[in-house]
Amino acid sequence: MRILVVEDDLTTQQFLQRALTEQGYQVDVASDGQQGLFFALEHDYQLIVLDRMLPKLDGLTVLSTLRSANKTLPVIILSALDSVDERVKGLREGGDDYLVKPFALAELLVRIEILTQRQRGQLDSQTNTLQVADLSMDLLARRVWRGQQEIQLQPKEFKLLRYLMEHAGQVVTRTLLFEAVWNYDFDPQTNVIDVHVARLRKKVELDGLSPLLETVRGVGYRMVAQ
Amino acid sequence: MVLAHYLKPYVAWVTGWWRNNHRASSVWRLTRLYTGLLMLVVGILLWVLYQLSVGQLGRSQSQQLSQLVQQQQLLAEELNQQDFISQFTLQAKQSKQFVLAYSDGNTTYGRLASIPKRAKTCPRLARFPVYNYNEIRLFSGCVQSLSNGQLLVATDDEALFDLRELFLQASMVALALALGLGLMTGWFFSAQVLRRVNSFNHIAQQVEAGELSARVPIGPRNDEFDHMAKHINKMLAQVEHSFQAIAGVTDAVAHDLRTPLSRLRLRIEQALLDVEHQDIGAKQLAQMLAELDQILSTFTAMLELTRLEQHQQKSSFKAVDLATVAEDAIELIQPLCQDRQQNLQLTILQPCTISGDATLLFRAIYNLLENASKYAGEQSDIELMINGDGFALNDTGPGIPEEETDKVFQRLYRLESSRNSPGYGLGLPLVRAIIRLHGGEIKLENNRPGLRVAVTF
Repeated sequence: MRILVVEDDLTTQQFLQRALTEQGYQVDVASDGQQGLFFALEHDYQLIVLDRMLPKLDGLTVLSTLRSANKTLPVIILSALDSVDERVKGLREGGDDYLVKPFALAELLVRIEILTQRQRGQLDSQTNTLQVADLSMDLLARRVWRGQQEIQLQPKEFKLLRYLMEHAGQVVTRTLLFEAVWNYDFDPQTNVIDVHVARLRKKVELDGLSPLLETVRGVGYRMVAQ
Repeated sequence: MVLAHYLKPYVAWVTGWWRNNHRASSVWRLTRLYTGLLMLVVGILLWVLYQLSVGQLGRSQSQQLSQLVQQQQLLAEELNQQDFISQFTLQAKQSKQFVLAYSDGNTTYGRLASIPKRAKTCPRLARFPVYNYNEIRLFSGCVQSLSNGQLLVATDDEALFDLRELFLQASMVALALALGLGLMTGWFFSAQVLRRVNSFNHIAQQVEAGELSARVPIGPRNDEFDHMAKHINKMLAQVEHSFQAIAGVTDAVAHDLRTPLSRLRLRIEQALLDVEHQDIGAKQLAQMLAELDQILSTFTAMLELTRLEQHQQKSSFKAVDLATVAEDAIELIQPLCQDRQQNLQLTILQPCTISGDATLLFRAIYNLLENASKYAGEQSDIELMINGDGFALNDTGPGIPEEETDKVFQRLYRLESSRNSPGYGLGLPLVRAIIRLHGGEIKLENNRPGLRVAVTF
């Protein structure tokens, strides 16, 4: 899997390159907008990590040029501009995700993983049921079973579990969970999401049954693979 | 040309003065306008007066003359030349007010020796001097061609002429007075008005130079200028307050970020030593990361607060139902409250929809709920009430001392009693900034016992 990192700050660039290479991605780097755009048009990438403030050609211009050249690959925008307006602008130009600097490397890796996964698998949207080990979820009836035993969930708990099951095998961060379940775009900065996950876990991992949800320290959670 | 030469220095002086006093140009413009109008009014009045008095006399005079001409014309047509001349001579002798003369080319009959050259053809009147009964007087009259000669009719115009001259002089004096009066009063009043404007200018310059404590003087009359002055002073007070707040924040930032930064520095220093002894652990690094995250989030919150206070995000405003937002926030906080055995309740007295940013409102309500849960203590009651014009949050915790209710909205301010709990003193300022961005106001009241946070939009 090939990823392009367009970033003018050398330290950040090197860090990203190293971290992504360690994750098994093939990484190309560009240090300005012009070079980035050239690379993106020349080669076939699965994803682009794009800084907003770039020399020669700013990130948003690169993005809109790519989009008008019919390049539909996912793009994660990195930016120090974090107001809601800036975020909306970035997503409107065709960005698939927007991460504000400074960001946690783990958060970026999780988001890259989710975006490339989406691109590759295009999650089967036809299914009405989700299944992870012996945990099953009926999306239409909004019911959940562990083996034969039905589990009663609050609406938000249902949404939370659904998101985790849809991304089974992947790490999801607290911020991602919060955005997916509550639909508000910010970082609550507290352990409140942990409390919600702990409650969900208590309901799902009934006595004596194998744990399905693991905590990834410093990052978030992962539901075991299907 | 000679005149222009003499006037040159005066013109130069006037234009120089004009340029130096350019800022007073509004005064001058208003004065000119006012004076111009005054003179126009006086001019019209004088013209009407003239028409009704002197003008009337002049018109009746020329009417008499033309009647006389018509009469002689008739006679000249009816009588033969000789009879006409004798008749004419008789009439010319008898008439005192009018001067009549008739010339058949050779002889001039009547009271004049010849027809004056300045006389014009009727009905155009001309003025000429006549030696009449031992004195020279001004007559005005005209010449009419008859079949066999020229007829002159004229009437004594001296009185009317004098009257006209007098009227003209009087008018000139009146206009000059109007000019002087207009200039004086116009200048006085516009200078009065503009002095106020200039005082505003002066203050603006002072503020521009950085003197934020400057205030526009407010007069006792409570007029439009005083209103404006009040508004400007209010604005300046707000600006000054913001400036002081920023200065205060700089100090607070220096203090509150320096402490964790120096802790972090110590940790890194220690880690470097540990590397030498090869026993640095993941735990140490995790601690550093946590420390750094704390610093970064304080920083982010401060930036955010500043941006909110600058009222920048209104473009994303939509209709937001407060009850929906409140329900979401309660769903988020509920598990925390349950862990603390707190009774959390939402009461919707009346639905409330405002134009706003759902995420920001969610944050505000969630922050308040989080505060209530954190500080109200275990087994307390927390109630969020939505009413028609906002919401209120009541708890039965220890509340906040009355004298502290304003201070908790200051950035980085922490109550003595909460110094040791996590947080960095930006929650309530952020809430207030959000509420204010939505045009609302937030108040902390005593719930007896506990705290009541009232928000009205």
